[in-house]
Amino acid sequence: MKTVVWLHGDSLSVKDPAAQKYPDAERVFVFDRPFLEKAKLSFKRIFFLYECAAEAAGEIRVGDTAEELQEAMRERAAGRLAVTESASPRWRELVAELQGKVEVEVVPVADLVAVPADFVAKRFTPFWKKFGKEWGG
Amino acid sequence: MKVERFLGSREEIARKVAETLGGLYDEALEKAGPSGFEGGRQAGLRALEKFSVRGYAGTRNKLHGNVSRLSFYIRHGVLGLREVAESVRERFGTSYDAAKFWQELGWRQFWRLIYAKKGNRIYEDLEPAKVPLTKDFSGELPEDIQEGRTGLVCMDETVRELVETGYLHNHARMWFASFVIHFRKLGWKAGERFFYRHLLDGDPASNALSWQWVASTFSHRPYLFNRENVQENGGKKWCERCEAKCPFAATYPELERRLFAS
Repeated sequence: MKTVVWLHGDSLSVKDPAAQKYPDAERVFVFDRPFLEKAKLSFKRIFFLYECAAEAAGEIRVGDTAEELQEAMRERAAGRLAVTESASPRWRELVAELQGKVEVEVVPVADLVAVPADFVAKRFTPFWKKFGKEWGG
Repeated sequence: MKVERFLGSREEIARKVAETLGGLYDEALEKAGPSGFEGGRQAGLRALEKFSVRGYAGTRNKLHGNVSRLSFYIRHGVLGLREVAESVRERFGTSYDAAKFWQELGWRQFWRLIYAKKGNRIYEDLEPAKVPLTKDFSGELPEDIQEGRTGLVCMDETVRELVETGYLHNHARMWFASFVIHFRKLGWKAGERFFYRHLLDGDPASNALSWQWVASTFSHRPYLFNRENVQENGGKKWCERCEAKCPFAATYPELERRLFAS
């Protein structure tokens, strides 16, 4: 099945785990218009993202992210969208919206330390003592 | 809509991007320009290779100390947390400096874990404040702060650097946040939004939770600083040309009495 890789602001490089899993797939980055219109970021931030995307993505788009990604998939007759996991609620919202329309594969992030899913983080010091041993914690 | 690949110098490309993405950023078109920090993995890898961890632990709190300036690449996943940690291990082995640096990378994952659990609740007080704080979260930072016109050179220069470069040393971020919350008695969210808009490494979790850490809604006590701390870690340059009556010239017990006695 043909795949499109969605690169987002938390994983914007050719080394993105979803891109690594599907090295032949087109990589698409979208400037998320509904989010950015509200966030009012400085242009420096936008341009930093553009420079990252220009290097990492085959295609850069702007608009409603879910619509733009579906359009990019239609243009390539792709059946699967692969994306690297993010903690962002906006990302979750978009994934939930897309899952109703296309096949979405979520690829895990390469974390610094392995933490079980049920661990509840409260303060840094006990967290680091428990999980940071590989890195001198 | 597809966005074109523009060619030319960074300034020329920035101009075209600014025209194409009008309405998606805060400045007027004529003021929109690139930061001195270049985006992209090639630039990130160059910065990583240039970074030596030697001396990190002893100098990282100084404004001119040996810090990595990799945060914007890490924040956007241009460089991976593990990739950065492994690069340091391969080049410098295990040392106190390296362990201190890895711990800072650990903070990133820690913030992300909390964000994954709490979502947008990171924008609400996570714990009751340990000192009196304003409950007024409406609006933006006052103009004198946003425009760097408070008369306090250390704070005004911090704002100037933030707006011009999109970067601040961590210690400068802490001083500024403490100034906004505890000295000016403003809601932490206005400061949080201001940083988020300008910092190239602006990350919802790291930023909001660090503001809460300073406020004491995600820590055991508020973060305070005084003039001695600024001079020790930032030098005396700012103070030498400052004509304001310094609100930071006091011992910590004095500041606590002045700021938190209610």
